[in-house]
Amino acid sequence: MSDRDDLHHDAHDPHSHDKSRLEHGDIEDVAGHPVKDQAQLLPVPPTDEFATGGGRTLWGDAWYRLRKNKLAIAGLIWVIFIIAVTLSADLWVKPIFGDPLSMDTTVGANLQPPSADHLMGTDKLGRDVFARVVYGARISLTVGVIAVAISVAIGLIMGALSGYFGGILDTLIMRGADVFLAFPYVLFAIALIAVLGPSYRNVFIAIGILGWPSIARVFRSSILSVKENEYIDAARAMGAGHMRMIFRHIMPNAVAPIIVYGTMSIGGAIITEAALSFLGMGVQPPTPSWGLMLSDARPLMVRAPWLMLWPGFAILTTVLAFVLMGDGLRDALDVKMKD
Amino acid sequence: MSTLLEVRNLKTHFHTRDGVVKAVDGVNFSLEAGQTLAVVGESGSGKSVTALSIMRLIPESTGVIGADSDILFKGESILSMDDVSMRSIRGDRIAMIFQDPMTSLNPVYRVGRQVGESLVLHKGLKKKEADERAVELLDMVGIPHARERARDYPHQFSGGMRQRAMIAMALACDPDILIADEPTTALDVTIQAQILELMIALQERTGTAIIMITHDLGVVADMANDVMVMYAGKQVEYGTAEDVFYRPLHPYTWGLLESLPRHDVSDKGVLVPITGQPPSLINVPDGCAFHPRCPYAKEICHTTVPSLESIEDGHSSACLFSQDPSFRRDEVSPSGEVA
Repeated sequence: MSDRDDLHHDAHDPHSHDKSRLEHGDIEDVAGHPVKDQAQLLPVPPTDEFATGGGRTLWGDAWYRLRKNKLAIAGLIWVIFIIAVTLSADLWVKPIFGDPLSMDTTVGANLQPPSADHLMGTDKLGRDVFARVVYGARISLTVGVIAVAISVAIGLIMGALSGYFGGILDTLIMRGADVFLAFPYVLFAIALIAVLGPSYRNVFIAIGILGWPSIARVFRSSILSVKENEYIDAARAMGAGHMRMIFRHIMPNAVAPIIVYGTMSIGGAIITEAALSFLGMGVQPPTPSWGLMLSDARPLMVRAPWLMLWPGFAILTTVLAFVLMGDGLRDALDVKMKD
Repeated sequence: MSTLLEVRNLKTHFHTRDGVVKAVDGVNFSLEAGQTLAVVGESGSGKSVTALSIMRLIPESTGVIGADSDILFKGESILSMDDVSMRSIRGDRIAMIFQDPMTSLNPVYRVGRQVGESLVLHKGLKKKEADERAVELLDMVGIPHARERARDYPHQFSGGMRQRAMIAMALACDPDILIADEPTTALDVTIQAQILELMIALQERTGTAIIMITHDLGVVADMANDVMVMYAGKQVEYGTAEDVFYRPLHPYTWGLLESLPRHDVSDKGVLVPITGQPPSLINVPDGCAFHPRCPYAKEICHTTVPSLESIEDGHSSACLFSQDPSFRRDEVSPSGEVA
C-alpha cells in the first residue's frame, strides 16, 4: 500500500524526482520530494495512521493528476471553447457574420478571401465560412457524443454480460463482436447508411452501432481483471446478487478504461462523420458540416484554398483535443500510478 | 448446545485440463453454536476450499461438490438450496473474512458504506441508518475516531485497520457463523495478536461460532475449542484443542507442532521442518497421502488408505498406527495456552 503522500506525486511532474531543480523557497514534503508550491501540499499532513482524512475519491485523485497534464488540459480547454462558441453562436455569429445557410448571390460576394467582414471568407454560394464552421461544430460534436454514447451503452451491457457471466454467453457475444470488427469500418458504415438512408440521425446511429464491439471488448477484459479481486469474493460472500455484483462492485472499478476509450472514440466518430459527409453519405446539404464543407471545397482547392483550410483545421484540432484528453485521462485513471 | 453446521462427507473436486483436483475429499465435521473450530494444514490441503464450499462460492464452471456430500446449516441442506435463499444466508447468517485485507475492500467506496452494505442488503436498513450502524461497528472493532474514519476510503486504512473493518463488516448482521480464512496471515505479528484478541473478545460478546482457517497452529492455540488437521484434502486428525496439542496422534500433526517456533523451550533452538512437498492433488500418492514425507512410514502405508478412526473419545486420527498406544509423541506440546 502506498503511503498517503505518494498519491500526490505525479510521474509527469518533472520536479518530483529532480532535487537539483529545487529552488529557494520550495518546500519538501515528508518523502523528501520537492513540492512546487503550497497548493500541492497535502490537505492533511500524514501524521499517524489514525489521522482523520477528508477522504479523496478515485475521481478526486484522477482530477489531481489530470490537472498537471498540460496537453490534456489544453485539449479540455479547446473542447470547452468550441462548445461555448457553438452554443452561443445564435447570439453573436448570426448577427455579425450572417446565417450559415443564407446565400449571397450578388456578383463578387462568393469565394471571397478572408476579410474583416468574413473572417474565413465566403464559399461558392456566398455563405460565410466562419459561420458555417461554427455551426458545423454542433453537428460534429453532437454526432461524436451521441454516437459514442450509443456505442458505450451497447458496449457496456454486452461487455458486462460477457465478462461477468462468461461461458456460452461470452462466446456468443464476443464472436458477434468479431463479425462486426471483421468488416472494414467505413465500408460497413456506408452499407448501413445505404439501408437506413443518408441523414444526420442515421449517421450517429450507424457510427454508434459500429462502435460497440471495441467498447465491449475493452470492458470485458477490464471486468475479467476486476473479477479476480478479493473484494469481489467478499461481496459475493456478503450475499450480493448478480445485479449488485455487476453494477455496484464490478462496474465502478472497471469503467475507467471505458472513459478513456470513449473520449478518444469521440474524435474517431467526428472523423467518421466528416468522412461520411464528404462522401455524401452523411449530413445532407445545406446543413453545415465540416465533412460536407471539405467535400464542397475540393474542386475549388486551388482557387479558394481557405475553403478547405478552415474545416480541415477544425476537424484536426477537435479530434486532437479529444485524443489528448483521452490520453491524459488514461494516465490520470491509471491505478498503478497510485502505488 | 445445538449443532449449527454439519458437514457430511464433503467432496469438492475441480475438473481441470490436467485432471481432477481432489481439493476436498471426504471431510466430516460439525460446529456447535458459539464454538470455535480451527482448520489447520499446509497450503493446498483443502482448508479454503472447505470454507468456500460452505459458502457455496465454488466456481460452478469447474468445481463439483460430490452427490453424496451434504452441508446442513441448522438442519437445512445448504447444497440443495436455491440461489436466492443461499444469498440470504451469505453475509447474514454465515459471514466470511478473507485472507488479504489489502484487497478485500472495494477501493471505490467509503469504508463505512461497505461495512453497512450487508445491513442494507439483509436487514432492509436505509443507507443513513446503515451508515450510523457502521460507525458503531467500526467503533466496536477498535477503530479510533470511527465517525471520521468511516468516511475514509480503503487506501487510507492500514492493513490492520482494514482487517478490523473486514471483521466489522462480517459481524454487521450478527451472523451465526463467522468463517475466517487465514485472517492474520497477511499482517504483522503484533497486529496478528491484536486481531486475534479482537476476535476472541467479539466472540464472547456476540456468541458467534467461528471457523478459523490457518496454517499456523500458534494462532489457534488460544481460541480454538476443536482442531481439525487437514492434509491433501482429507482430515488426518480431529479433536479438542487440548487433545490435538497435548496428545497429538498423527505423525503429520507432530510435524506441524515441531516446526512451530516456541518461546517456552530455550534449549531447543532448531526447528524441525516437515521434509518434502505437499502432494499434487491430481496425483495423490497411493495409500496414505502422507507416507512419502512420513518418517514412520512402513510398507503397509504405501498401499492402504487409512480412514479417520476414533481413537479416544472425540479424538480421531487417520493413521494406520494410531490404534497402537505406544505410537505416541507426548513431548510435543503447544507454544501457547490451551483455552
